[in-house]
Amino acid sequence: MGLITEKLPKMMAGMPGSDIIFTRMDAVINWARANSLWPLTFGTSCCAIEMMMAPGASRHDLARFGAEVARPSPRQADMLILAGTIVKRMAPRLRTLYEQMPEPRYVIATGACTISGGPFIYHSYSTVRGADTIIPVDVYVPGCPPRPEGLLYGLLTLQKMIRSGETVREPGIRHKPVTSETPEGITIEDIKSEMLALLEKDAVVDVRKAAEQMERPTGI
Amino acid sequence: MNVHVSTLDEKTRSSLAIESHSETEEYFINMGPQHPSTHGVLRLILKLDGETVREVIPVLGYIHRSIEKISEYSTYRQIVHLTDRMDYLSAIMNNWAVARTVEKAAEIETNERIESIRTIVSELERIHSHQLGWGVLGMDMGAFTPFLYGFRDREMITDILEETIGARLTMNYIQPGGVMFDIHPDFVRKVKEYLAYFKPKLDEYEDLLSGNPILQQRLRNVGIMDAETALSMGATGPVLRASRVPYDLRKIEPYGMYGEVEFRVAIGTAGDCWDRYYVRIEEMRQSMRIIEQLIDNIPEGKFLLKKPAAKLTIPEGRHYSQIETARGVLGFYIVSEGKETPYRAYFRTPNFHNLWSLTAMAPGGRVGDLVAIISSLDLVIPDIDR
Ligand code: SF4
Repeated sequence: MGLITEKLPKMMAGMPGSDIIFTRMDAVINWARANSLWPLTFGTSCCAIEMMMAPGASRHDLARFGAEVARPSPRQADMLILAGTIVKRMAPRLRTLYEQMPEPRYVIATGACTISGGPFIYHSYSTVRGADTIIPVDVYVPGCPPRPEGLLYGLLTLQKMIRSGETVREPGIRHKPVTSETPEGITIEDIKSEMLALLEKDAVVDVRKAAEQMERPTGI
Repeated sequence: MNVHVSTLDEKTRSSLAIESHSETEEYFINMGPQHPSTHGVLRLILKLDGETVREVIPVLGYIHRSIEKISEYSTYRQIVHLTDRMDYLSAIMNNWAVARTVEKAAEIETNERIESIRTIVSELERIHSHQLGWGVLGMDMGAFTPFLYGFRDREMITDILEETIGARLTMNYIQPGGVMFDIHPDFVRKVKEYLAYFKPKLDEYEDLLSGNPILQQRLRNVGIMDAETALSMGATGPVLRASRVPYDLRKIEPYGMYGEVEFRVAIGTAGDCWDRYYVRIEEMRQSMRIIEQLIDNIPEGKFLLKKPAAKLTIPEGRHYSQIETARGVLGFYIVSEGKETPYRAYFRTPNFHNLWSLTAMAPGGRVGDLVAIISSLDLVIPDIDR
């Protein structure tokens, strides 16, 4: 049991036999979408522990907001919670995961790393400075790591966004990928071209050859 | 190098073997980097023959954040905060590795109060790391309740540490020359309360999961690794101790207050997944014993001896020192030119070496066993890639 905090725009009319509610289709669909978000478990590092704390573990409960059905497969999920640093090698994978999710899809970026590169923003040759250079992000939750309460607040913000902005014909409000500031010497173009090269390289992997090239310990 | 690999014992294997006259073909399967039971972004290429694993090839680099490179641009005080992010479940102990190396190199003396506080918070963190490992192992084996229990008790330790340190996960607490803040006035009382609370709870853990026949069947005689293989793979921590090697830095080269307290090193007998699981349970008991001996008499004194740690330089040369984290030996190696920043920094991380024992354990077993083995290794992936 919870408090009913929102009301659908509606008109009730008494008819012989039963009552009929008239409402807007968008309102009903948005209400349903906002309250049954299925997150994809995508945890790469430290933030993942706090992300596990928020929906699944003993103290906080994401189920109250209708988002506890964590799915490991992107095809069954509609919300991507980015928890942890994204490095260049993982970036193409993240893009693939995002593209595999069915529309409408939403992204929450938790932690300094996914916002800007966090503690690894200077002098690192491998971190991606902000997940929004790869995929569009809807809600940012700052912190290193953000507390579970922070993530819950982020989710509520996302729900608010979904309720207010979406229509059936145009699902999702999307920001353009924001280019966060990167330190001198590295430009977004560099990262992008490097990522493209990686994508192409990783797409064709000859596992057999890779296996043969691996030096094996004797006796196996 | 003479590596002996024992897999499922012969009897079980022959009973499982299915008589088949058809030709089988080996094939490859990709596991990860986005996979629920690899605990992060570990990628494994599996060479399979039917259900049987023939070979495991780990592929690394999906969370390589170039921590060692960043260290070359950071002062010794700044390196501390990077180590939090390697093995985030033993953050305080990672800090200690840096502090210990720098203190040894720059000949900084500490007092008894500092060492006591360091030991107590480290042991608290060891307990909470093992609690999480316990819960996640339960979840990987298909039992969800341990996950809730483990996190419930872990969260209480996080609260105690948060009061003193101000952070829940990335602590950044131990620094060269002392600790960041003095302990909270309530710290001693709360730790004692927690120990009184958690002791019976640990027995409950055992009733709940250890005695479960399904868990026993999934863990016993699975992923056996003998002492010789474990040593040649460079495994440390509970993984090595489960293979009957009583190697624990806290005993062998005592640092902090470990030389003055009584505790025993838990070792396994068979070196299978069950032993690795049980060594962790026993380590929680020993950690509580260590805390109990220290908590009542934390000596008076300063908690930080010298403030300007930012200007710290260490003499030219090579310096190395190591400590025992919840997952094994973490070493920190500095090549110094006598400046404020190191010329080269290297971390010998426990998970990287523990991971490779997987390549010796998994062949011969089933795919389902592989999940049990990964879970019993209790890997933290950012610690592997750094
Ligand atoms: S924001 Fe901080 S806690 Fe989160 S992944 Fe990055 S370094 Fe780790």
